[in-house]
Amino acid sequence: MSVAGALAGAVQVLGGVLLAPLIPGLIQRLKARLQGRPGPSPLQPYRELRRLWHKSGVAPFPRTVIYELAPPVVVASSLVALVMLPIGGRSPGWPVGHDALVLVGLLALGRFAITLAAWDTGGGFGLMGASRELTFGVPVEAVLLMVMVLVALPVGSTNLIALSDAAARPHVWGEPAHWAALLAFVLVMLAETGRQPIDNPDTHLELTMVHEGPLLEYAGRELAYLQWAAAARHWIMLVLATELFVPHPGPFAARLAVLVVSVPVWCGLLAVVETTQAKMRVLRVPLFLGAGGLVCLLGLASWFAGGGS
Amino acid sequence: MSTPRDASGRMPGVAEIRAVPAAAWRRACLDAHAHGERFGGLFSHLPASGPPRLRAVFSTPAGERLITCEATEGAVETIVDVIPAAGWDEREAHDLHAISFIGHEPLRPLIDHHAPLEAWTVPTVGEDVHQVAVGPIHAGVIESGHFRFHVVGERILHLDVRLSYKRRGLETAAAGRSLGDGIAYAQRACAACAVTNTVAYAQACEAALGLQPDDHLRRARTVLLELERVYNHLNDISAICAGVGFAPGAMAYAALKERAQRLNERLAWHRFLFDTVSVGRSAISFDRQEAADARRELAAIGQEHQLVWRDLRFVSSLQERLEGVATLSAADAERLGAVGPAARASGLRDDHRIHSPHLSYSGFSVAVAEAASGDVAARTNQRALELHQSLELLDDLLTQPLEPGTVRRCGEEASTAVGRVESPRGVTVCVVVREGDRLAALHLRTGSYANWPVLAHAVVGELLPDFPLINKSFELCYACADR
Repeated sequence: MSVAGALAGAVQVLGGVLLAPLIPGLIQRLKARLQGRPGPSPLQPYRELRRLWHKSGVAPFPRTVIYELAPPVVVASSLVALVMLPIGGRSPGWPVGHDALVLVGLLALGRFAITLAAWDTGGGFGLMGASRELTFGVPVEAVLLMVMVLVALPVGSTNLIALSDAAARPHVWGEPAHWAALLAFVLVMLAETGRQPIDNPDTHLELTMVHEGPLLEYAGRELAYLQWAAAARHWIMLVLATELFVPHPGPFAARLAVLVVSVPVWCGLLAVVETTQAKMRVLRVPLFLGAGGLVCLLGLASWFAGGGS
Repeated sequence: MSTPRDASGRMPGVAEIRAVPAAAWRRACLDAHAHGERFGGLFSHLPASGPPRLRAVFSTPAGERLITCEATEGAVETIVDVIPAAGWDEREAHDLHAISFIGHEPLRPLIDHHAPLEAWTVPTVGEDVHQVAVGPIHAGVIESGHFRFHVVGERILHLDVRLSYKRRGLETAAAGRSLGDGIAYAQRACAACAVTNTVAYAQACEAALGLQPDDHLRRARTVLLELERVYNHLNDISAICAGVGFAPGAMAYAALKERAQRLNERLAWHRFLFDTVSVGRSAISFDRQEAADARRELAAIGQEHQLVWRDLRFVSSLQERLEGVATLSAADAERLGAVGPAARASGLRDDHRIHSPHLSYSGFSVAVAEAASGDVAARTNQRALELHQSLELLDDLLTQPLEPGTVRRCGEEASTAVGRVESPRGVTVCVVVREGDRLAALHLRTGSYANWPVLAHAVVGELLPDFPLINKSFELCYACADR
């Protein structure tokens, strides 16, 4: 294993596990500054996790193994997704492969496990959140798949390392399909990270919750796991955005530097979107994501019209 | 200055009392309604001895009319089929004093929390219909209220509201107190309308005692009422922005509300303007310098509001959430007895400030937007419009220094009088029945109380996640109803 590969592996594991909570923290901080408030420290999510870690758990009754399995399944799928994701186009040889479609599936698996848990306990708000999560999940997964297909077309492979290498070269930017994919990906990123205009991460207003709804029944360490997983999802989406859509030519060190710069920039973008956009009406969200699908179709059309260069 | 008298020669506020036997109750109320007199509340009261007593307030062009009857058999005929605005009043009277309203079927419990679920909710059946129960404990730091939504998917079919989790029995507690002490009970009904409630109470007492406020007292109360409106409307616009997650608007208006409340404290020693109103006098005074400072601060608040408001008009993601949501037609607003900004946003030209001879509202005209569409957007715009109007009024009222105010005798004493004052949420009606210097009965019906059933009507057909926003566009007070 090369030094670069080992380093990429370290960033995958340590970055994904330890740095992920910094991302929502940083977005909260930036948002507060944009609203003219000092806001909480970017380290606030770590404090939340520490607080939850030391609390005893409370579980609803009745419940079955489905409820108890959800946090481990969500954490496991997040961990596998983390190590599938190349860093600077590199990855040590983890025995999980790097297939983009598997990554989409892992994200869906996490969503599936948590919505199933909401069904298991049958709490009103949990079910309401779960039903919205699933309603949004259908277009989210479809659009994400289309994005992956668009990005994979020029490469002829769905291997994330190959995709990252292709995006590193400047010539993909002459390809309208790639721009379409970028546009659609930003919409999916907003949905996957549960941010405005699709979901409001700040609110626990019972009737408007999406992602927070199914989490209501959890407490203590289980809730800490789920909150970490939500942060890890931010990391996955932001790193993926960098690997697929930010030009990062040059050696591994330069690619790593691009990643270090671009993740905070993506955070800033999310903070600006969240500050300037009110939350959307809940039934408009599938249409909004559908627009992403439409953009992808246009990208596909342009690709085939261009003869599939 | 001449004593203002109404057409009947009574002092404004003194009620013409029409006592009828229980059998004639419905006829008398419906006659009043048929003559275009506006229903202002129905109250029940249990005197120290004798059967429970019912009182219905109507406002006529000639003044206040009070129809009273003794529910000797414990039952009267309902008026709710003709005056739906009396729905909550009748349900409450039944729960409190076991008065049956014949024809009000089913008479669902309103404040009796021992009733089973089926008794107080409307049965809603059909494929995929289910109930969503929210509260009384909520995710935010708000008052206790239980909302039972009957929904299909995200769509609301019907809403049953249950309040009175913190009912204090203020009206019962106030009975037997002196008229001067009774004001504390009216004030504690609610913090956000404290001035309105106390001015309504003080006006009712003064009318019953044959007293008339001097110019200073009128002006002091008008200043306080408008200060209350300003901070409430600023708060409501902030809450509407927060309801759709638009933080910049919410923050800007929350900051403006804070400035308005600090001004309250400077002018009247209390951020919520508590203890600023008394029966027959006012202790508030300010000199030329203090008035000028207050005007400057209000002008700054007004300027900042104009800037932020202009920005908000251009945020399409925000406007999109407000337009066409929970539309209340003018006909429904009229029929259900909606009051305040909510009624005016539906196009009703109804603002009690134009009928307030004991306050300084000369030349006041009702602000109604050209496009009074009755939706959340209209209710938001209405507040901005009234905010502008209130700031102009205050600017005018604060041009001169203010001295402590007092009253002078100018009429006969009466046993019963009604105070009506326009609060930030609609007209508040306060009925005072006196025995000498003591309160025999106190009744308070605030704008919130009138509008709660209207809110329940307006949400039908809307999306469940839009409810917090719709609720905030009415911004009703729980404490007023839990009085």
